[in-house]
Parts: sequence; C-alpha cells; structure tokens
Amino acid sequence: MNQWIAALRSERIKLGHSRILLLAVIDPLLCVLIGLTAGMEKGDWMGLLLAMSLIHAMFFLPMLTGIFSAFVCRYEHEGGGWKQILSLPISRPALYLAKLLVAAGALALAQILFAISVVLVGLYQGFDLSLIPWELFATRLLGGFAACLPLAALQLFVSTMWSSFAAPLVLNMVFTVPNILIVNSATVGPYYPWAQPMLAMMQSNIDYNFGAFNLPTQSLMITVGASFLLFLTAGLMYFNRKPV
Amino acid sequence: MTDMMIETRNLMKKYKGTRAVDALNLAIPQGEIYGFLGPNGAGKTTTIRMLLGLIKPDSGVVQIFGKDLRKDRLQILRRVGSLVEYPSYYGHLNAIENLETIRRILNVPKSRIHEVLATVGLTKDAKRVVKGYSLGMKQRLGIATALLGSPELLILDEPTNGLDPSGILEIRELIKKMPKEQGITVLVSSHLLSEVEQMASSVGIVNQGRMIFQDSMPNLQRKAGSEIYIALSDAEAGVVTARELGCFPRLDDGRLVFKGLDNGQIARLVAALVDARHSIYRVEERRKSLEDLFLTMTGSGGAETDISRIDAGHGAPRAVGLRREAAQ
Ligand SMILES: Nc1ncnc2c1ncn2[C@@H]1O[C@H](COP(=O)(O)OP(=O)(O)OP(=O)(O)O)[C@@H](O)[C@H]1O
Ligand SMILES: [Mg+2]
Repeated sequence: MNQWIAALRSERIKLGHSRILLLAVIDPLLCVLIGLTAGMEKGDWMGLLLAMSLIHAMFFLPMLTGIFSAFVCRYEHEGGGWKQILSLPISRPALYLAKLLVAAGALALAQILFAISVVLVGLYQGFDLSLIPWELFATRLLGGFAACLPLAALQLFVSTMWSSFAAPLVLNMVFTVPNILIVNSATVGPYYPWAQPMLAMMQSNIDYNFGAFNLPTQSLMITVGASFLLFLTAGLMYFNRKPV
Repeated sequence: MTDMMIETRNLMKKYKGTRAVDALNLAIPQGEIYGFLGPNGAGKTTTIRMLLGLIKPDSGVVQIFGKDLRKDRLQILRRVGSLVEYPSYYGHLNAIENLETIRRILNVPKSRIHEVLATVGLTKDAKRVVKGYSLGMKQRLGIATALLGSPELLILDEPTNGLDPSGILEIRELIKKMPKEQGITVLVSSHLLSEVEQMASSVGIVNQGRMIFQDSMPNLQRKAGSEIYIALSDAEAGVVTARELGCFPRLDDGRLVFKGLDNGQIARLVAALVDARHSIYRVEERRKSLEDLFLTMTGSGGAETDISRIDAGHGAPRAVGLRREAAQ
C-alpha cells in the first residue's frame, strides 16, 4: 500500500508540465457546442444529457481512455525509464496499479467536467436546475466512467506491451470507429470495450431503444466489471513477467 | 556462507537457443571495485539485468547481500543503486524533478537530491530540462540517480560511455572514492581494459557469456608478466654465454629475450656478456601489455593464442574449452 502511494506520488511528478489534461477540458468544450446547437425542448435535462453524450461517449471517452493509458507509459518508453523504475524497490503490480489509477483519474476529471458542462448549458438555455433528474444523471455519468475502466485496463496492457506511444493509440482509434455500427448489435455491443461507455451513458432511452441500448444497466455493469477484472489480471500477469 | 556482496551460481540466460550468459559464477567481496570486463556482446548487460531482477535467469541463483534475489528482491533493491546500459531519464522534466520521481519511491530526504547533484557536478544545470542535456550530462544524471538512495552496492553498466576524457576521469575518480569514503561496493562493467585497470581492485573477464578470468587486479597484472630484451653485436654467441649462466633466452630479430629475470640475474648476465666481448646496445624491459593478454583471452585479437597464459583463476578450464570451440 505504501509502495503504491509512493508510486502514485512519483507518477504525479511525471505528469508535470505536460498539457495532457487539457484534453479533458477540450472534450466537454466541444460537447458544449453540440448542446447549444441541439435545440432541446425547454427543461428536457435528459434529452440534453443524451444529445451531449453522443459524441462524448461514442468517441471522446474511448479515445481519451486510450490516450491516457498510453500516456502514463510514454515517458518510460521514451527515456528508457522502465529499467530504471523497475530496479527500484517497488513491486511491479504496485507500479502498474498506480499507472492505471492515474489514467482513471484523468478520465474521472473529463467526466466531471462533462457533467458540469451539461448543467451549464442547461442553465444557459434557461432550464430549471431543480428539475434535474439527479439519480438518472448520476447513474449515466458514473456508469459511463465505470464503463471506461475495462478499456483503460486493456489499453494499459497494450501500452506496456508495445514500446511506443503511437501504436496503442492507432489500435484504439481503429476499434473506436466501428462503435457507430456495433451499438446496433445487442449481442456484441456489451462485450465490446470501446462501446461500453456509450452503452452505459445512453441506454434504454426512448430515443435510443434499438440494439444494444436496450440492455438493462445492471447486466451491462456486470459485463463491465467482469471484463475489467479480466483485462486487469491479464495486464498484471504480463507486466509482472515482462523482461525489461 | 559468504561475506560476498554479490554471488551468482551457474547463472544462465538463453536467447533463441544461444547462451548469452552461461554458467556464470560471480563473486564480489565487500568494499571492492569489481571491473566486469568483456568485449561487445559478451553478456555483461544481460548479467547485470539478471542481478537487478529485470529479467529472469533460465537457471542459476543470484545472491546479493547474502539474500536470494528471488525471495527478497525489493529489500535488496532498496540497498542497490544502478545504471543499466544507457541513462534513463524523463526528458520533459529537469534534473531535480527527475530525481524527485525516484526520491518519492526511495523515500529519502529531499536534501539528497542536491547532494547527489553536487557529487556529479550537475548543480548548475539542475533546473534545465533534461531533453536538452548532452549525453555526458545525462550519464551524470544517471549516476546521481544511482547514488540517490545511499546504496551499499552500486551497479554501473559502462558508466563512462559517451563521456569525453575529462568526464571519464571525473567519473573514474568518483567511483574510486566510493569504497574508501562510503564503504560502497561497486560493480562496474566496461569493454575497455585500460579503464578497468585504472579503477578496479578485482576483475572478472567474460567472453561469449562465460567467465574466463576472475581474480584481483594485481594477479591479472602479474599474469601479463614482463620480458627483458637485450640487443647486442652477436646474438647467436650471446645465447651460449647466457646458457652458461643458466638463462635460456629466445632470439628475436638479433636480440635476446628473457622471461622472469630478477635484478641480480640481469646484472650478472650483462657483466658476462661484456666479458665475452659483446657490444651491448640496449637492455630494455617490455611489459607484455594487459591489452594483449585480454585479446588473447577473449580471442578477439590476433591469430596467435597462447592458452598456457590463462592458467589460473576460476575460468581457466573453460577458457581452454572455448578456444577449442573457436578453433573448430
Ligand atoms: N533481448 C535480447 N534478445 C535477443 N538477444 C539478446 C537480447 N539481449 C541480449 N542478447 C544477446 O545476448 C548477448 C549478450 O548481450 P549483452 O547486451 O549482455 O552484451 P554486453 O556484454 O553488454 O555487450 P556491450 O559491451 O556491447 O554492451 C548478445 O549476443 C546479444 O545479442
Ligand atoms: Mg552492454
């Protein structure tokens, strides 16, 4: 536990002056534009959330997940840092989990900023704050964040395996694009890590009641949890044995 | 069983069927500067990686501080500072921030950062982003990083790589101070014999993954031996004179060449030669250079290889085997 906190504090320095977290700001800003032009009916908070979620959950979240996961490995790949850090008194799992947590933290930041931007757009358009369906909002936003975690674990696995910053990103992009099609499939969609964030944020809505969107939240979250554990275990086992 | 800082037994690592490190028995006593010498591709870096647990040996045991690396890896690493192959750094951070990422894991006081920067002479550039450092400066930062945790054992893989002559000298002096001032044991690898000769107190020579010599530096130097060359007017007749005194020279280009003469023998020999009316032009001592010896041992030098010279030390029988293999 101490090791893990030490690793986390060490990762914190590495983020240093990099502007990677700006991406977590740009995402909601672009979503604001969509929210402002969506022309929602006054007071339709859920409609606004869905409209703004479309691009955010379908593209930005999976992309950001891949970027953050690759980023926490980037400087180790570039500067030969793996052999240095793994020669220190820190266990490999502790380091791995610290890196995963940094990526998850950046995603959480993106999701929080997104939530704030939805509320601000609503207020700007004169929606009544007291009418926000908090419970639904929270379920969607937290669910969307949680659904990024299997992908984060998978992308971190790939990012530690390939000593390159760009390669995992290309892979991530290639698998994110088909999201548009995959959500139509109720059988494949829930198991497709790149689609899970959008399924979690947009499912079972009157406007989107086709294909995979129809799945109840609970069963999706079970899939998310199981695939997270699967990818995390595989990644940890690989990293633990990786020759450096 | 040991007061050895590092001890390996039958260490072996295969890459695609060939043994990069083979049956390697390192033994490094406390307080030594151990020069780990071998030509390119000999297996030095591979060995060092195994010592640090970065890769797993295919067979064999590593013990550091008398503890098994497989069992007590983190405890051991807390007391070891290392620099493997080329320095690692985070280019977007300055030297202080680079050291801070390590310091947080080692959990040493912040003041250590400035101490080690001063030790390697980087204080002036400490606030510059490391991306803009020269290779030599990065190398120094790497050494500073290795020293940060006040290690008892320092493992440096070719630490003077890429340094200019004054940088090499500085690092060498720095390394030489370690055992004296701080009781640190140092393992330093190099492919340059001259470099090892100038700082190491004991030596291990590896070639093609095998240890072919391991002993103290003076013992290695003794093996190199010296010869006395005497140039004179009539070498053939000189041989006869020398034989009468019980010395058996070989002839080399009109000169007599003697092995292992002491001062008294040389004096008597010269006197006898003068008595026999020889004109003596030159008497000189030639040290067989360590370089020659090294090249002979590692088989990377000239065609002539003299196995008999590599007789003592742990690695001897293997060296013979190795030469035979090479000859086939
Ligand atoms: N990851 C690897 N995959 C395949 N072969 C390897 C690997 N690492 C090392 N080798 C091989 O093992 C042998 C020993 O390499 P090593 O890097 O240990 O040599 P070295 O003594 O450090 O040489 P140098 O002085 O050039 O640094 C070489 O033949 C090398 O090709
Ligand atoms: Mg090497």
